[in-house]
Amino acid sequence: MTMASTSEDTRILILATLSGGYAGANAVGQMHASYAPNTYILPVMSPAMFSEDFYLRAFERGIDAILVMYSGTDSPYKGDAEHTAQMINRVYPLMTERGINTRRLRLVAICTVCTAAFQKEIRQMNDTLAEIGPVRAELAAPHEQSA
Amino acid sequence: MSEKDIRIGAYVCYCGGNISDVVDCEQVAETLRGLPNVVVVRTDLSMCSDAGQSLIEEDIKEKGVNRVVVGACAPSLHEVTFRKAVARAGLNPYLYHHVCLREQDSWVHQSNPDEATAKAGRLMLAGIAKARMLEQLDTIRLEAEQHALVIGGGIAGLRTAWDAAQRGIRVTLIEKSPFLGGHMAQLETIFPTGENARQALHELIEKVVSHFLVTVYTNAELTSARGYMGDFRVTITAQPRGVAEDFAHFDEAAAACPVEVPDDFNYGLTTRKAIYLRYPDAIPNTPAIDWKACTRCGECKKVNGTGIDLDGKPQTIDLTVGAVVVATGFQPYQPREGEFGYGQFPEVVTLPQMIRLMTMQEGNGKLTWNGHPVNNIALIHCVGSREIPGVHEPQEDGRVNDYCSRICCTATLQMTNELHERFPYINLFDLHEDIRTYSRGHEDIYTEASKNGVRFLRFHGDERPEVTAAPPDDTSPLLVRVKDYLTWGKELEVPADLVVLATGMMPNPVSDIVKLLKITEGNDRFLLEVHPKLQPVETAVPGVILAGTAQGPMNIQETCSAASAAAAKVGVLLGQGQVSLEPFVARVNHDLCDGSGQCVAVCAYEDAIALEPVLVDGKTVQKAVVSPANCVGCGVCVSVCPNHAIDVQGWTLEQYEAMVDAITADLPKLEVVE
Ligand SMILES: Cc1cc2nc3c(=O)[nH]c(=O)nc-3n(C[C@H](O)[C@H](O)[C@H](O)COP(=O)(O)OP(=O)(O)OC[C@H]3O[C@@H](n4cnc5c(N)ncnc54)[C@H](O)[C@@H]3O)c2cc1C
Repeated sequence: MTMASTSEDTRILILATLSGGYAGANAVGQMHASYAPNTYILPVMSPAMFSEDFYLRAFERGIDAILVMYSGTDSPYKGDAEHTAQMINRVYPLMTERGINTRRLRLVAICTVCTAAFQKEIRQMNDTLAEIGPVRAELAAPHEQSA
Repeated sequence: MSEKDIRIGAYVCYCGGNISDVVDCEQVAETLRGLPNVVVVRTDLSMCSDAGQSLIEEDIKEKGVNRVVVGACAPSLHEVTFRKAVARAGLNPYLYHHVCLREQDSWVHQSNPDEATAKAGRLMLAGIAKARMLEQLDTIRLEAEQHALVIGGGIAGLRTAWDAAQRGIRVTLIEKSPFLGGHMAQLETIFPTGENARQALHELIEKVVSHFLVTVYTNAELTSARGYMGDFRVTITAQPRGVAEDFAHFDEAAAACPVEVPDDFNYGLTTRKAIYLRYPDAIPNTPAIDWKACTRCGECKKVNGTGIDLDGKPQTIDLTVGAVVVATGFQPYQPREGEFGYGQFPEVVTLPQMIRLMTMQEGNGKLTWNGHPVNNIALIHCVGSREIPGVHEPQEDGRVNDYCSRICCTATLQMTNELHERFPYINLFDLHEDIRTYSRGHEDIYTEASKNGVRFLRFHGDERPEVTAAPPDDTSPLLVRVKDYLTWGKELEVPADLVVLATGMMPNPVSDIVKLLKITEGNDRFLLEVHPKLQPVETAVPGVILAGTAQGPMNIQETCSAASAAAAKVGVLLGQGQVSLEPFVARVNHDLCDGSGQCVAVCAYEDAIALEPVLVDGKTVQKAVVSPANCVGCGVCVSVCPNHAIDVQGWTLEQYEAMVDAITADLPKLEVVE
């Protein structure tokens, strides 16, 4: 599968904090570095606002992978990093229940200058997608436990 | 507003070729034309130019556009520009959405123009989907007390106080210890200017304490805080000084005091009494009682009973302030017992101790330590800095100091230069991982050290030098073993009469302030700003601002710049007597709220959300109510509401869902050509 067809076939949603991942993404841009174009970055104040439903709905709508690029221990908001991690942990069993491979969802701490980590996460998620394919196949299949 | 009345203007910026060289902006625009609610679609060479902004303003006025989406550079650059343009045309500035097509598309997909174009199309569609749901929002306006509390009386706090007062803001400065000046008072000649530290410091202190808008409390700490930007209610507790301002018998009282404790001004190299002056011309120049050390035996009072009060009670001061500046500074890293021989061999001292030792050493003849002549000195960099997890022993909290303390390289080299100047016969060995003389004028200090014949030895971070006792017949008491990578890994032994550890910086422990003000510490334990580049002195709590080394290692120049930035921020926030906050805070839909209180339970911010009685159909029921001034908009409450009754204004779940739908939708007009 070429990069172009990967991009058309799969879509990675990136929820990136304004104080971390979103600024990190801009730093990658300022370097004119490159990464796969099947990536759609939405800025968030904090991903702590998303409940389990949001992630499940996104997969059901055809988002193949979600990278939550939060600010981790560098978050300016009290307690939101722990809360985000708790929320994501609650999503995994629900994904499994619905037959969605849990490798499609990853929580990673990305800082404003974490350009290499930003690119690596996208590369790795695309490798995962090349291996497990688009989410639609899983949603269409009868619900069996996936990884 | 009904859906049919929504009239969106969508603008795709070429960014002078930065976007259009990769993204086919015309094709993107073509995709957007005819979409529901989209009444204007334009491309422009430079939307941020005056002409570009005028296009938007005209479309609002003449074509009835009431939602605006611009695809351009990163929002950090021009989101505010476009919000202002929208506002100039009479539209609410929050009916604007910014899409990043440059940093997150054209600049990163240069070799893939077709896909970059398809992505731009989807991003614009997502922006338009959000724009359909945008609502008018108003900034939160609060009355602001034109009064700032500055915590910490080091150079950072003093400089903040002075600059803020110069802007017409009343300042209360509190210093925990009985004397002003912080660590700068313990320095002598300071890099890179070669000035005398205390002289420069005293000039500023005199100006600050005599400014009519500044009140200073020493021996004082913040003990409670409530409220929000513009209206913080704080309590300060000031311990008594114990000595009257006009007390004239200090020398006799100190001589009479039977208590002797290590003198922290000299980093424990000397001792002092429980009644003390930090140094002879310390400010305030009234002695103080060290209450932790004092046994209240009363011997000092016997000298002259009237000027000393050992039974004074703490004073509490309640204030209303508009902003709080945290300038609580740093403490030098304290090496562990045995770390590089510290505490094990009396010949191992820290750099701060060495600075004090040099001032205690009279004249320029012979340097002695512990009664022994000093002929060889080894100075070791990066002690308590740039430590490697898994290699170096963690501290009590399980963390190592993996950051660079920034000032120690130049301070160490400056020490070698001073040693060379005063004691040119001494052999100086500088053991470093790297030399980071990063700032203007600092490299000159390194060059001078090289010219002075300092011998540089370079070790690897995971192979730090080892300090051991020398064999009894050696002339120097210590040997420093180092694998030197400037000689391709040769194992060398350096004789040392004195070993100086260039200890790094750690933040002063301020967990009480962190808790009271609801601010955060980073992984390195320094206080955390919202964004290191775009909001470098602001915390996530509006109105709480950082200054100086409480935020990270800085030299005096950087500390003063940070302090001036903090004061400027205070001036901007409070200068008008009114503050405006972004409206991105939680909002509760009372039709959906069932008063479960889960939102209140998870919120980390005091008074941001609470259950309050609300009248519904003649009955009083409990509903969640947000205090916009205390809410930071993190959205933790949103995710736990079982009824989806809470949202963050301007960043609603519905808007995110609409954007996800747009991203996953097909783009018939933008098929990728393979
Ligand atoms: C060995 C060494 C050599 C240096 N040499 C140089 C040099 O030559 N040139 C140079 O530019 N820089 C030098 N520096 C750096 C310089 O010392 C700092 O940049 C500067 O002192 C930082 O000032 P500050 O106000 O941020 O912190 P501090 O000096 O630490 O002041 C903080 C103040 O806050 C007070 N405080 C703490 N907690 C509270 C509380 N809870 N309530 C109230 N008050 C509180 C403290 O008592 C202290 O007075 C050197 C540093 C070291 C360690």
